[in-house]
Amino acid sequence: MVLQTALLIGMVLFAVLAILLKDVLRSAIALAVASLLLGIVFFRMGAPYAGVFEISVVAGLITVLFILTIALTRKGDEVRESRLANWVFPLAFVAFVIIDALVMKGLIGKIPALAGGTETGTFGDILWKGRTLDLVGQIAVILAGVFAVLALFRKRDNHD
Amino acid sequence: MIILFVVLPLIVAGLLPLAGKLSRRVLPDLLANATLAGLLAYAAVAGRALIAGGPVLQQSSWLGEAVNIRLALDAFSLFMLVAIALVGLAASLFSIDYMEHYGAKANYYALYLVMIAGMNGLVLATDLFGVYLFLEVAAIASYALVAYGLGHDELEAAFKYLMLSVVASAFLLGAIAVIFGMTGSLDFAAVAAGLKELNAGAVVGIASAFFLLGFGLKAALVPFHAWLPDAHPSAPAPISAILSGLLIKVSGVYALTRIFLNVFGLTPALSTVLMWLATVSVVVAAFLALGQKDMKRMLAYSSISQVGYVVLGIGIGTPLGIAGGLFHLFNHALAKGLLFLTSGSVQQATGTRDLDRMGGLAKRMPITATTNLIGSLSIAGVPPLNGFWSKLLIIVALVQAGHPVFAIIAVLASVLTLWYYLLLQRKAFFGKLNEAWSGVKEAPFWMTLATVLLALLCVGIGILFSSTVSTWIRPAADVLADGVHAVTGSWGF
Amino acid sequence: MTNTWYLYLFFAVALVVAGLLGLLGRRNLIKLLIAIEVIGKGITLLLLATGYAKASLLTAQALVITYIVIEVSLVATAMALIINIYRESKSLDIRSLAKLKG
Repeated sequence: MVLQTALLIGMVLFAVLAILLKDVLRSAIALAVASLLLGIVFFRMGAPYAGVFEISVVAGLITVLFILTIALTRKGDEVRESRLANWVFPLAFVAFVIIDALVMKGLIGKIPALAGGTETGTFGDILWKGRTLDLVGQIAVILAGVFAVLALFRKRDNHD
Repeated sequence: MIILFVVLPLIVAGLLPLAGKLSRRVLPDLLANATLAGLLAYAAVAGRALIAGGPVLQQSSWLGEAVNIRLALDAFSLFMLVAIALVGLAASLFSIDYMEHYGAKANYYALYLVMIAGMNGLVLATDLFGVYLFLEVAAIASYALVAYGLGHDELEAAFKYLMLSVVASAFLLGAIAVIFGMTGSLDFAAVAAGLKELNAGAVVGIASAFFLLGFGLKAALVPFHAWLPDAHPSAPAPISAILSGLLIKVSGVYALTRIFLNVFGLTPALSTVLMWLATVSVVVAAFLALGQKDMKRMLAYSSISQVGYVVLGIGIGTPLGIAGGLFHLFNHALAKGLLFLTSGSVQQATGTRDLDRMGGLAKRMPITATTNLIGSLSIAGVPPLNGFWSKLLIIVALVQAGHPVFAIIAVLASVLTLWYYLLLQRKAFFGKLNEAWSGVKEAPFWMTLATVLLALLCVGIGILFSSTVSTWIRPAADVLADGVHAVTGSWGF
Repeated sequence: MTNTWYLYLFFAVALVVAGLLGLLGRRNLIKLLIAIEVIGKGITLLLLATGYAKASLLTAQALVITYIVIEVSLVATAMALIINIYRESKSLDIRSLAKLKG
């Protein structure tokens, strides 16, 4: 549990770094590290499939997408961030985290829950047979993304 | 085979790029519109027979294995499916001519069909995560469709829409996770039963607040409406029609209603919150619509206001109120769809959306002017058009339920609505013909056909309102008025 | 709900708050997208933690996997928008997108 908490703290730190860092490329890499740590947290929770997905897709594929975009928009890099936001953010964040911790401590035991159900079957069963509609939805979402990218990058020859 | 509602548009969408390579115009047009016409026919004709004996629950089996595709079709979902197919078909017919100069029509239709599939899936889903998933499907398709013209305004509107939508989605999933934690399940029936057993008022209240935030943003209820007045005008006209006419209602109002009424159960506190939020939407948006110079922006604010009416009706909780709200949802989908389509005709003919620069277009575009007038009067609630009856139902329901103040506000806002719509008509269509437009012609065939179709429906439903209400609206309202029982009783798989 | 759930909830909320603050304060479009990603991480953590607490990790993982697929589509679409905006206005500053008033 201690290691888990340490990993979580590290992950949140890198996520905050990803938002705060000035250079976009370094932000993207910080985000990738945060994803990596989160993936490890998932593994240790006993969720290996989610961990694999988190590491390979979020830390991998999405980071590649980010770097691709950064490369394609190199010149626009000189976006001067608001100086005010640069130190309001950490202060606000720390304040919220403290409120967060207090609220959580206060909430312990307050949220009622039914006893957990037993899960039968392997992960494959649950995904393919238990939540099949989700798979149809995934196909739909992938189609949406593919067509969105195709539409947004189409050749603009006779556009008004 | 209810799954067809989701799978058919997806399959056709997948085939469209291929069709687009074979034939740039005819084949994609044909495929897309035939699909939507088919869905409409299936829903309108076969649908009622399907649900005659109670909700249809489908649990399919694929290649011998029992897979778990759970879809439920009850009167409320059927009602939404018909609305989606109807307005979807009209806007799609309109697109045949309108989207010519945007390019890549096959791609456009593919996105369009994916959005329709997403909306259908949302309506047929039986668990909380399914609702969320298909909501995102439709949303992602809509981001690309709003930005379709690739102009500066469109891209800006699409990006801001995306940002706000993502926040909404995060809150929705957060609430879903908490509900999952409490009840151990995501299925509507199981959640409803579990929540009743737990009786955890405060936490359900917080989850409800998050749902309200998420779905309220999708439905553009004030104060979560900021994205709509930019996104709807910038999108191409048929997409504006779908967004205002369908998407905000399906991913906002339907999801909200289904969860609050059938899964959580409408408590008096929830009812009050909904009614207050709705009234604020009705009034604030009506005032904001008044000052608009951009035709589509005025229509966009009007959408926010009218969705307020819908939520107001549903929020009352009585069967009459819910029926009024649902009827208004349907009427507004038709009329607002119609109005955005005619605005597209005007925009294509004159190249502008600025009301001050228009004038006297009725002389050159008589059909468009007439259909626009019908749509405007319908939303403003003028008898005997359909909008009048739905607003009347809501107002009567308010009075009956003991909320005379809300009723008065609703009536006054209606007067305001009539005013700014007449303003729109006068500035754009009546009055002296602006010299610049002396050469414009009436809109091309498909565009005109689509608007005439919707206008005829507005008039027809206005005249035949009582049979429409009893055949389509009443059953849907009854499902909702049943509250949690509708789901726990017959939806248990 | 077990105490560990509240621990995970704490971190999940921290992530979501960080992301929301980022959305409010940052101006670079790509940084805004990164903030959106951070919010997504918070939500996946919450979903899995809930699954862990209810001994339904398999279902929770199925949900998280679907959510990640949604995220990929979302990021791809957002990227396409950003690149187009860059081509249009040569800038990644959200203040250059202030034409429409909302």
